[in-house]
Amino acid sequence: MKIKKGFVIRKVGDAHVVVPVGELSKTFHGMINLNETGAFLWKFFTAEHSVNEAVAALCAEYEVDEERARIDAEKFAEVLTKNSFIE
Amino acid sequence: MSEIEVQKIEDVLLTKGQYVGPTAGVSMLPMLKNRRDTIVVNKKTERLKPLDVALYKRGEQYILHRVLKVTDTGYIIRGDNCYADEIVPEEAVIGVLTEFFRKDKHIVCESDKKYHRYVKNRLKTYKFRRFWVRLKANCINLAKKILRVFGYKSK
Repeated sequence: MKIKKGFVIRKVGDAHVVVPVGELSKTFHGMINLNETGAFLWKFFTAEHSVNEAVAALCAEYEVDEERARIDAEKFAEVLTKNSFIE
Repeated sequence: MSEIEVQKIEDVLLTKGQYVGPTAGVSMLPMLKNRRDTIVVNKKTERLKPLDVALYKRGEQYILHRVLKVTDTGYIIRGDNCYADEIVPEEAVIGVLTEFFRKDKHIVCESDKKYHRYVKNRLKTYKFRRFWVRLKANCINLAKKILRVFGYKSK
């Protein structure tokens, strides 16, 4: 899966916020808040990757066991799909 | 644990106190470019000051323009790329611009000296810019009239 083009990620204070730009901002009128791990996954999925790859990336980046990482990655992917953020 | 949360604009200021989003329109050019730049707006907690950039509601539309003057009941406001002042009541103003991203450059309104210089210059050159825009419009109208006299029809 890959996040569609037209979003930029901004760091405002301690928060990570994803904002639509260009044509996408005409149809998407919202604000996406991410925490540190969410921002990591968002950036990870801006390139074509599978959930399994995201789990491996999470385990490599953070001190987290595979089960926890899989729950996170799957939940994140579900929200991306549900909100039509995927290409 | 990763977190992702999607909210509508109108709810964000109320619940979080801060909205981060894209720009739409040309009224704040050259500072903010349509659908390219990102604005960071904080919920209004006190009366705005002259030169602050106010986020206010006109009907269902959100507008981001600069405060020129504070009055007893509201503000005199104008976009940086506009040539007409607006009277905006206090209750219509819901937020104030605190930061923005011009392409990827992060600008904090309160502390950025280059931004302060921009604001001063924009106000200083207003009358000249307005004169130039009116002159240009008059010239175009005159040219259209002359063309009409000679039988040309404008599109």
